[in-house]
Amino acid sequence: MTDSILEVTDLSVEFATYGGRVKAVRGVSFDVKAGETLAIVGESGCGKSVTVQSLMGIIPMPPGEITGGVAKLNGKDILGLTSKEANEFRGVKIGMIFQDPMTSLNPTMTIGDQIAETLMVHRGMGKKDAFDRAVELLDKTKISEAAKRAKQYPFEFSGGMLQRAMIAQSLACNPSLLIADEPTTALDVTIQAQILELMSELQRTENMSIILITHDLAVVARMADRVAVMYAGQIVESGTVDEIFYESAHPYTLGLRAAMPSNKTTREKKLTPILGSPPDLFHPPTGCGYFARCPYAMKSCEKMLPPECLLTAESNHQSRCWLQHPDAPEVQELFQPARTQEEAPDAG
Amino acid sequence: MLAYTFKRLLAGVVTVWFIATATFIAMHSVPGDPLMNDKAVTAEIRANLEKKYGLDKSGPEQYLIFMSNMLRGDFGISFTQQNRKVNDIIRDHFPVSATLGLLAVFFAAIGGIVWGALTAIYRNRLPDIIIMFLVILGISVPSFVFAALGQLSLVKINQLLGSSVIPVAGWGTFGHMLVPSLVLGLGTMALLTRLMRSSMLEVVNEDYIKTAKAKGLSPIRIFFKHQLRNAILPVLTVLGPQIAAITTGGFVVELVFAIPGLGRYFVQAVQQLDYTVIMGTTVFYGAFLVFMVILVDIIYGFVDPRVRLQ
Ligand SMILES: Nc1ncnc2c1ncn2[C@@H]1O[C@H](COP(=O)(O)OP(=O)(O)O)[C@@H](O)[C@H]1O
Ligand code: SF4
Ligand SMILES: [Mg+2]
Repeated sequence: MTDSILEVTDLSVEFATYGGRVKAVRGVSFDVKAGETLAIVGESGCGKSVTVQSLMGIIPMPPGEITGGVAKLNGKDILGLTSKEANEFRGVKIGMIFQDPMTSLNPTMTIGDQIAETLMVHRGMGKKDAFDRAVELLDKTKISEAAKRAKQYPFEFSGGMLQRAMIAQSLACNPSLLIADEPTTALDVTIQAQILELMSELQRTENMSIILITHDLAVVARMADRVAVMYAGQIVESGTVDEIFYESAHPYTLGLRAAMPSNKTTREKKLTPILGSPPDLFHPPTGCGYFARCPYAMKSCEKMLPPECLLTAESNHQSRCWLQHPDAPEVQELFQPARTQEEAPDAG
Repeated sequence: MLAYTFKRLLAGVVTVWFIATATFIAMHSVPGDPLMNDKAVTAEIRANLEKKYGLDKSGPEQYLIFMSNMLRGDFGISFTQQNRKVNDIIRDHFPVSATLGLLAVFFAAIGGIVWGALTAIYRNRLPDIIIMFLVILGISVPSFVFAALGQLSLVKINQLLGSSVIPVAGWGTFGHMLVPSLVLGLGTMALLTRLMRSSMLEVVNEDYIKTAKAKGLSPIRIFFKHQLRNAILPVLTVLGPQIAAITTGGFVVELVFAIPGLGRYFVQAVQQLDYTVIMGTTVFYGAFLVFMVILVDIIYGFVDPRVRLQ
């Protein structure tokens, strides 16, 4: 096993709202190894952003609260730090880019100044040097006429250009990890491809790891080395990209795949949406989070939370489902994703 | 930015022309005239006076004369103050009103921004609750009440100190200006505080603040470099119209504090239907306000690149 640069164990995050406590993240564990891309995939609201933002210490607190867990970056704890302590790794060892580049940059500051700011704060560079370096960084992210562009404001950039600028900014201090929270969701399809291309290229040249958050399995297939599938605040399945796509184990992953368009989608193989909706995170189920929508649900699933089960002894492919529990009877047809939804209990 | 400024100035000139015309029409449709005194004037004297002031001519003719004089910067002679030129009245008293007004705007803007920022920092805690209570007072209590209270407290302070350290009324030194301008700016300050507070709270939730945190900037740097500047923008946009509000409110404060500003003459002129003074001061005030609003817009352009560069 290669070294992990980030290890997250049993992270739990809650939000105190007027309606009660939202249990947004419920015991999430994963690790990121040097140079790899970990994709975190799951439908909207399942806690992907909250997971990574609590690692960065940028969820609003209150109402947010990290109620449990440990996260270690290169062996050092990063949860529950003061902002001064956290700023030793934020922007330095971990860079972050967000979903909507249009609103993620300060509208009243030039792009160059915003990138330079990171360098001035963390590297103690002078204004002039930092700005020159900012131009180089913009150049590196393939923004043409970088020197001119650096003097412009965000409103003078297109969405794709802004995301490039965000990437340039996040790379300023050569981080070992880039967290990209749905970096292409707000962009046109063609621009999406360019940004993903840029990210994989920079990953190679800069030799960094990436946590790529997405709800798009096509993006996962293209970018990821390993995948964590999230559902209702928990990771329900994790493994290499091949394991997740070709040996999908968890019924939710199967559902996601059945709902994903592919080249093979023909008249006889229709897209199958997952019926129902995710559970209420104010009162998350005590048993399996996917119970209400699961076509394979058993009686024991409702009350008992399945543990994370290793699927084979030699791989690191895990699934949080009673079907994969060592005590469960052998279920052969499990690896055939074509199971339909008709057998699902009524989710409503 | 240059083209933008030029366009604004041009629009300003049109606005002033509009104000002048509207004032002219209004003056001429008000019943009564300045020569209709309690003392009966013989028809002969009346005819002479009308001739002197050009009132014997037709409306359009009078309008043309009024406009051409105004373009030359001549507002004519007062009807009620013997042979006093309107220009002289403005020259003697406008600087006083302008100083009072601008000082009030200055206090209101600084106060609004500082208090607003503080309430946002201390959201829902004691300082916020106290300031927001005062804000409601500031918005709902009319300025003449504050003027009287301000004057009263000056009297008390002087009594306590045993000498008149701060003058209670009149004009001349900064001591004279301090309390009246604070009083005059109070309502606007309260309004701006409220605006600044909500603007700050909005900006805090902006994505770019999250970006700034993820970049590893210190909270102080984020506050000043990313939050404050963006939060001030909406406050600046209402500053122009607020200057107008402050200047109009100035008449009352000038009266209470016996400040020899233009306001008193304006009110007097209205009561006595002193045509030339009313029209002269209205147009002059109008031009001044239009110019101030343009100035604020230009300043706004410097803070907001989206305006400056378009
Ligand atoms: N500031 C907040 N206050 C209350 N609830 C929040 C807050 N931020 C996120 N949540 C809740 O946490 C859950 C997970 O959100 P998020 O991580 O943004 O989902 P996603 O997987 O789409 O990124 C959602 O149910 C959301 O309502
Ligand atoms: S534990 Fe039960 S309900 Fe949950 S996914 Fe597995 S089979 Fe379905
Ligand atoms: Mg999200």
